[in-house]
Amino acid sequence: MSFNLDSKIPAGPIEQKWDKHKFDSKLINPSNKRKFTVIVVGTGLAGGSAAATLAELGYNVLSFCIQDSPRRAHSIAAQGGINAAKNYPNDGDSIKRLFYDTVKGGDYRSREANVYRLAQVSNNIIDQSVAQGVPFAREYGGYLDNRSFGGAQVSRTFYARGQTGQQLLLGAYSGMMKMVAKGKIKMFNRREMMDLVVVNGKARGIVCRNLLTGELESYAADAVILATGGYGNVFFLSTNAMASNVTAAWRCHKKGAGFANPCFTQIHPTCIPVHGDYQSKLTLMSESLRNDGRVWVPKKKGDTRKPAEIPDEERDYYLERVYPSFGNLAPRDVSSRQAKFRCDEGLGVGSTGRAVYLDFRDAIKRDGQAKIADKYGNLFEMYQKIVGANPYEEPMMIYPAVHYTMGGLWVDYNLQSTVPGLHVLGEANFSDHGANRLGASALMQGLADGYFVIPYTLGHYLGSNTLEKVTTDMPEFKASLKMVEEQTTKLLSVKGKKTADDFHKQLGHIMWEYVGMSRNEAGLKKAIAEIRKVREEFWKDVQVPGDAGNFNTELHKAARVADFLELGELMALDALERNESCGGHFREEFQTPDNEAKRDDENYAHSAVWEYTGPNSSPVRHKEELTFENVKLATRSYK
Amino acid sequence: MTTAVAHYFGSSIGRKQLIAVTGLALCGFLVSHLTGNFLLLMGADAFNLYAHKLASLGALLYLAELGLLVALLIHLGLALKITLENKAARPVKYLGKKNTGRGTTIMSASMPYTGLVLLAFIITHLMGIKYGSYYTTIVDGVEMRDVYRTTIEHFSSIGYTVWYSFAMICAAFHTAHGFSSAFQSLGLNHGRYFGKVKLLGILYAIFIGAGFASLAIWSHLKGV
Amino acid sequence: MSNGNMTLNLKIWRQVNAKTEGKFVDYKVDHVSEDMSFLEMIDVLNEQLVRKGDDAIAFDHDCREGICGMCSMMINGKAHGGFKGTTTCQVHMRLFKDGDTVVVEPWRSRAFPLIKDLTVDRSAFDTIQQAGGYITANTGNAQDANAILIPKPIADEAMDAAACIGCGACVASCPNGSGMLFMSAKVSQLALLPQGKAEAEKRVLEMVQTHDELGFGNCSNHAECEATCPKDISIEHIARTNREYIAAAIKHHEKDRSGGGA
Repeated sequence: MSFNLDSKIPAGPIEQKWDKHKFDSKLINPSNKRKFTVIVVGTGLAGGSAAATLAELGYNVLSFCIQDSPRRAHSIAAQGGINAAKNYPNDGDSIKRLFYDTVKGGDYRSREANVYRLAQVSNNIIDQSVAQGVPFAREYGGYLDNRSFGGAQVSRTFYARGQTGQQLLLGAYSGMMKMVAKGKIKMFNRREMMDLVVVNGKARGIVCRNLLTGELESYAADAVILATGGYGNVFFLSTNAMASNVTAAWRCHKKGAGFANPCFTQIHPTCIPVHGDYQSKLTLMSESLRNDGRVWVPKKKGDTRKPAEIPDEERDYYLERVYPSFGNLAPRDVSSRQAKFRCDEGLGVGSTGRAVYLDFRDAIKRDGQAKIADKYGNLFEMYQKIVGANPYEEPMMIYPAVHYTMGGLWVDYNLQSTVPGLHVLGEANFSDHGANRLGASALMQGLADGYFVIPYTLGHYLGSNTLEKVTTDMPEFKASLKMVEEQTTKLLSVKGKKTADDFHKQLGHIMWEYVGMSRNEAGLKKAIAEIRKVREEFWKDVQVPGDAGNFNTELHKAARVADFLELGELMALDALERNESCGGHFREEFQTPDNEAKRDDENYAHSAVWEYTGPNSSPVRHKEELTFENVKLATRSYK
Repeated sequence: MTTAVAHYFGSSIGRKQLIAVTGLALCGFLVSHLTGNFLLLMGADAFNLYAHKLASLGALLYLAELGLLVALLIHLGLALKITLENKAARPVKYLGKKNTGRGTTIMSASMPYTGLVLLAFIITHLMGIKYGSYYTTIVDGVEMRDVYRTTIEHFSSIGYTVWYSFAMICAAFHTAHGFSSAFQSLGLNHGRYFGKVKLLGILYAIFIGAGFASLAIWSHLKGV
Repeated sequence: MSNGNMTLNLKIWRQVNAKTEGKFVDYKVDHVSEDMSFLEMIDVLNEQLVRKGDDAIAFDHDCREGICGMCSMMINGKAHGGFKGTTTCQVHMRLFKDGDTVVVEPWRSRAFPLIKDLTVDRSAFDTIQQAGGYITANTGNAQDANAILIPKPIADEAMDAAACIGCGACVASCPNGSGMLFMSAKVSQLALLPQGKAEAEKRVLEMVQTHDELGFGNCSNHAECEATCPKDISIEHIARTNREYIAAAIKHHEKDRSGGGA
């Protein structure tokens, strides 16, 4: 089978594509909308906003969430802010500039037309959120406040203290609750999607596990929207929430949805370092800290002196040294790699040697402690709570951690995957961030997809396809149900000696070591071999106590780890096949003499889209060529 | 009753606002009662004259008494009802619930109990004084009830004085939480001012508790 | 990567489901490091149980950075352990001593029925939100964001209320099991903002009614909720709700009378 990777980008100048596309899309009259049922899996920014908006339009929405309430989706943890091209500060921003910055930031591996649309609707998102009562930061005059974020040269980031993600999510959640009350959304909490059901070549339903009762349930609909987030937890340790996983997306992949650029992962430079093998997750410290903190390591290996006792001339402020013009504000991928290089050289600090200092001494000297506390007080408190050290008195210790995955299920301009009827939104798709995401862009993309894109493109899909009636009694549903049941029985019957987490940690080590911040051919081949071994061992030695008929958290974990063990291999394979360095994907073989990423636009200016071909055959790599008509390809330089 | 009114009286907020209003009314009564009681210190005639004047208000007094009774019954009835509801809201108890020390106080936690003590007290107090031994005296040529004598006689019993003083400690506890709590219930909590309301509540509680109790002890010493 | 050297004695509530009886079970966890979070310590215990083929202790948790509101344990009789501004997942073992006995219980409230072990059902909070915890602003209706001016102090106060993570510690720690702090945080946020005023009266009337019907207790102003709230939400928001409520009741009473009411 060959994939249809038609991106369906509308013709015409980039500024007019979206307007033209909306006009060309089929409409469904209000009385017909209520005849359609749409499944939305996931209730984060993308899924929540989509569910609320589609319900407002009149569709019947079935919404599924893995937590006990849609309000808890992991979008809630985003701290920094959301970008929009409002240009309120009058500092030269525009839709075009936001578009340009995003394409460049993604190291020219995203689709121009999608990014341009994202920049266009960014402004509507801010309007919509304010109307819902999102309490963005304000100036004394009552106008919205903006800040510069992640090294951007304009102030285009809107924020609500350090809880922007929470406030935007609660906005979308309130919209959902309004529609639940009106009976247009039916909520299914504590459900995990286990399979996609495809009838006559179209996505027509899902099978999910009721996490409380263990029961498998089938739901039929006219279209399925997947908004289940990223797969960073394949590394075991990441800034993702514990329940964030790839299962829903992976099962769709197995049912025919192409998986694009799985190796594009973002490693965030400012996280609290790993401190023990019992550790369950990593905590992000907002990127904004780098506006005032200086990053350094001692010049001498094995320097055990307290940081304050190390004089300036014996410190290596390496970001300032290597990137004199951007200094401590170098982009995420670049800063992360530099921290890794220093630690690899044996210059890392802390008990594990895998940390660097982020020092506020000079900022406190310059501005006074009060001013620094005003800006970063809550972050300093958070650090102290976790680490037990006072950042006002000694430098923070930080290290990069997995934070976001740019890769995901392939979608066309309509956000439809290679399976007709299956639409993928937010972090779960691959579309807008290329090989590296800029700060404050994830919230923007999730809400753009849910509030402003899918309501149009889904209508077009429903209006231009004949959808015969389906019920969950059909053999396709029964087959899915049986497949999931069999897998569950298999997991429960191994009765081995190791826990799901044991295997997950093993996988995480392999991924971090060989498919992490810097990769090479030998390492990636080794990773593939080792992952296969772990996977084999998993199915022979995993211990899942209890049965499937109740709230069995170990069973939930084990099923997710099984999918991570398959995804991990594909990520390594994708990294191996991409013989260039770009954004978050750094291949040691492809670097400039001064250790910067070296792109190969001639051969790799494309998205790699993987097709699943069965459990015992290799996946097939397809290409969607990327054309750049509005942005000139250039080398990113932060020197 | 319109539906809005019915909802209001049936709702948790409506009921607690009624408890607040009736509570504040009773607080007001306590101040006037205590002020009157201080006349004990001025001697029998002053006190009896004051009591006589009150009694001669006739219908007005009955109306006030009726008002107090209604306030008390509403206060008591609703408080009982919400206390029972609150117990039911946690059917399984904690093994060892502890307070943080930053919220619940001994005053707030004991509201239902101090309230019940006060109810018992009000009954014994009315029976002992208002409906107690009836003596007469003549002041300025007018015959009137010698309630001063009833009082002194009554407090000559050490048992009653102790009970009375205990009840007044309860009253202090009850109002120490109840006074500021009523403001909160009525929505009168505006940040920085509320600290002052709380302080006022505590001063009020001390004034009421210490005032009544010290007069009881004074009367006891006078009587023995 | 050192393991720690603390030993803790845990007394944890185990209950298979709502239909069966539960009980406290004693566990001992060795090699607890002071850098562990409280939940990581429970993870270690669970790994031990699973290796033996025993059922893991079920507890709600997700983001593990204090924002999702999923974690919910009574630690030694206090919601989230009772540390100021801290959720269970942010409690670290350096706050405990070697040899300590720690009692861990689920939230106890009629409105939060127990599911298993330390997990309870908090969907009553969603039901309260559905009763009016939103502004009816359908997608596409919005005017330019800067067309609505909101003074900074108002925006800040609304944000204070909006910081609620819906964890339920207020209910768990309230001597009366009241959900008033949770409910009022939303009422207050939306009543403060100009966008929320159009629906303010209907909102407060319906949210209070729903709160009462769900089996929560009555607020009697202990302020224990404020003390245990991991986001330090003030009972001032309850006061604002009280004001909004009486004003709305009076207005609706008048409307009922003039409009012939229901």
